[in-house]
Amino acid sequence: MIEMITALMAGVLYGLLIGIIPSAGATTGLVALFGFISYFVHEPYLGVVFLMAVVAASTTGDSFTSILLGIPGANSAAATMVDGFPLAQQGRASYAISAAVTTSTVNGLIWGCLVFLLLPWYTNLLMIIGVPELWAFTVLALATVGFISTKFWFRSLCAICIGIFLGMVGVNPETNEPRFTGSWFYLEDGIQLMPVVAGLFAIPELIKGLFNRTKTATIVKSELTEGVKEFWRNRWLGLRGGFIGAFIGLLPGLGGAMADWMAYGSAVASNPNERFGNGNIKGVIGPEGANNAQKATSMIPTVLFGIPGAPFAAVLMSLFMYLNFELGTPDLAYDTEFFTSMTFGFLSATVIVAILCIFLIKPISYITSVPYKYYFPILLAVIVWSSMQYTGGWEDFVMLAVFSCIGFVCRHYKFSRPALLIGFILSEKIEKLSIQMFALYDIESLITRPIFMVLVIFIIGIFAYSFIKKGKIDYA
Amino acid sequence: MRKFLIALFLMLSTPALADYTMIVPQKPGGGTSVWAQIVATEMEKYLDEKIVIKHIRGARDIPGFNKFHNELQNDPKTIMVSHGGNGVSFLNEKVDYNYADYESVGLMNLNIIVASRKDHNPYGGKKTAFAAGSGMIPEGIAMTLLKCGAGLTTEQYIDCFKRKVNWVKGMSGGERRLAFKRGELDGTRENPAAFKKHVQPTIEQGVAGLWFHHGILQADGSHADDPNYPGYQMEQLFYAANRTKPEGDLYAAYKLVKSFRDGMQKALWVGKGNPNKAKLIAALKQVATNPESVSAVEKKVGKYQWLIGNAGDAHRDTLMKLITPEALSTLVKFNNEAFGIKAVYKDTLLAQK
Repeated sequence: MIEMITALMAGVLYGLLIGIIPSAGATTGLVALFGFISYFVHEPYLGVVFLMAVVAASTTGDSFTSILLGIPGANSAAATMVDGFPLAQQGRASYAISAAVTTSTVNGLIWGCLVFLLLPWYTNLLMIIGVPELWAFTVLALATVGFISTKFWFRSLCAICIGIFLGMVGVNPETNEPRFTGSWFYLEDGIQLMPVVAGLFAIPELIKGLFNRTKTATIVKSELTEGVKEFWRNRWLGLRGGFIGAFIGLLPGLGGAMADWMAYGSAVASNPNERFGNGNIKGVIGPEGANNAQKATSMIPTVLFGIPGAPFAAVLMSLFMYLNFELGTPDLAYDTEFFTSMTFGFLSATVIVAILCIFLIKPISYITSVPYKYYFPILLAVIVWSSMQYTGGWEDFVMLAVFSCIGFVCRHYKFSRPALLIGFILSEKIEKLSIQMFALYDIESLITRPIFMVLVIFIIGIFAYSFIKKGKIDYA
Repeated sequence: MRKFLIALFLMLSTPALADYTMIVPQKPGGGTSVWAQIVATEMEKYLDEKIVIKHIRGARDIPGFNKFHNELQNDPKTIMVSHGGNGVSFLNEKVDYNYADYESVGLMNLNIIVASRKDHNPYGGKKTAFAAGSGMIPEGIAMTLLKCGAGLTTEQYIDCFKRKVNWVKGMSGGERRLAFKRGELDGTRENPAAFKKHVQPTIEQGVAGLWFHHGILQADGSHADDPNYPGYQMEQLFYAANRTKPEGDLYAAYKLVKSFRDGMQKALWVGKGNPNKAKLIAALKQVATNPESVSAVEKKVGKYQWLIGNAGDAHRDTLMKLITPEALSTLVKFNNEAFGIKAVYKDTLLAQK
């Protein structure tokens, strides 16, 4: 038992650390464990507890840097940053973080438990959701960009077009020929997400802080309990975010960032008379509901079919394989100790990290009152480290530098960076799913699919709505 | 508790203690990456030295292998891991690496198995929907030969492929598996271990059936039936349907590409004259014979034979002999015109024989 608690605590602390590191997130944290995991081979269930604790803790921990510094802890935490960072600048960091942590924890616990109830239904769901429905969900996520555009709607449109263009750099999936690579072989694998997130959001905030020689904000007061109460006041918003995250997690390959932005979009859409992007707590509670729920439910396709529900799940799957757990095989379905270890690791870590965060919120929030010059070098070093996880060569530096410049320009001229990021993340998926859909289906067969048709109507409605009600977000 | 703290210490000190570096040209979590980690862990037991995995990623897993070729092959402590996809790229694309320049520590000569759904007639009716990709080239050609029959020219086969196969582009492995389960794809292919995991259950449910496999490459360059799936080798099915053996340029191209993909599906290489080669070979021989190690590796790829040391070099030489101007040019033509995969004809390969 002591060993299990030790593994759990080690996973929580490591996960929290990796969550807090700007731009890193669960996937990077898990990748770094490859050299270590073989030490769990003789105690594989301890390894399961440890890994699930890393996943749960990093997902909650990534809110800290998003809110405190305006630098997303992971790409999925970028949505939280849009309203969380302005709150920190107003001296309400502890209020924003406690609301974020409470929402994350509640949804993590709910969906962590529900995962096991959903298992018997999952195969049926998988049979209904085909390529057209996955395409429609992805386009629906793209449609949320309408809710996060600034009042400069033309610039937001430009930002999303640039994002889509950047997402198309690599190899044309239709012809297999290099596209927009400028004959640079490095780009044939596409532009990597890490330097995009770090360059767009992290570096501009860091440099701005350094040159302004200011603190991020002054702590006005500790509002720990106020954040918890705020979650309760907006519980349905948080739970709806959790539902969106959980559903996206169930669909293999769609990814966490998409869930967060959809949840953020739904928060904006359901509060038409409020402004977002300047410190609206609902803009924190909405997306924070999604990320832990998504992590929990994406374990279902990963465990049942050996088909990863998200990028982090692909890495987790191979770590499990080293521990001799072959996900997707029938034998594993009867290994109760495996499921118990997974549940114990995820749920316990969710609770422990929440308690830790509650204690840490106040001291960590004081980082906002520390002048930038003291932590600028440390943050810059970890951001560069995160961005160099692809090849580790000079090319990674170049990409980080290029996206930092784009981030500066966007920030200065109010081109929506979230819109650019969404366009970047989704364009490749939409293109590939479009190719698959039109190869496998014709119009006659598509219109006979009810879920697909309902989603298409939603997509049209959301595009129309956002065109009429354009420009509500102050954050660019 | 103590064990855990030791593990934590080892985690932090592992890179510093490493004796060997295994270069994997793939992102962490990929199939070859997992295989390499398993093999490295097993080899460490017999080497009594540490092996650290280093992932060097990049488009179509080429940059890692190029880096080994250009910068690392003379490092006595570097081992290169290659997979079937590298073999296909070697035939079709401008790459720096060249198998003839290295010495084999060992390789696994595998087979790939193809299934089709029961509600689909693979030889008639509607087009066969199959996931595309450079890794699917052998399946695409085998399907064309099986569906279109004997005695056609390459142009006629290309035309027949376009009429009879729906080559669905842009699918990842996971998407392909799900689309097959849902019935959106009519066929799918897997290595033996993945076949057991992802396809066997659908066969047991009566939803799918075995279609064909490619066979196992022999020392003389021919392919033998796979004892795990007897009677389903492509050549056997072709003969049963056409009463003649497959032959001609397209068949030569098929043999070439399936051999380079499956014949060196997983391989370990070191630079020529590497002083540690004998030690590594000895460790790998232990991995290939110790039941515990064998079981660990088989879990990932299935039950197939290792070709270690000189046997691996001889196997590589057999593969090189399959490169003929007709086979290579037909492969390039079929890739470009049927599959839409950009391929280049490399006459330099002919000098490798």
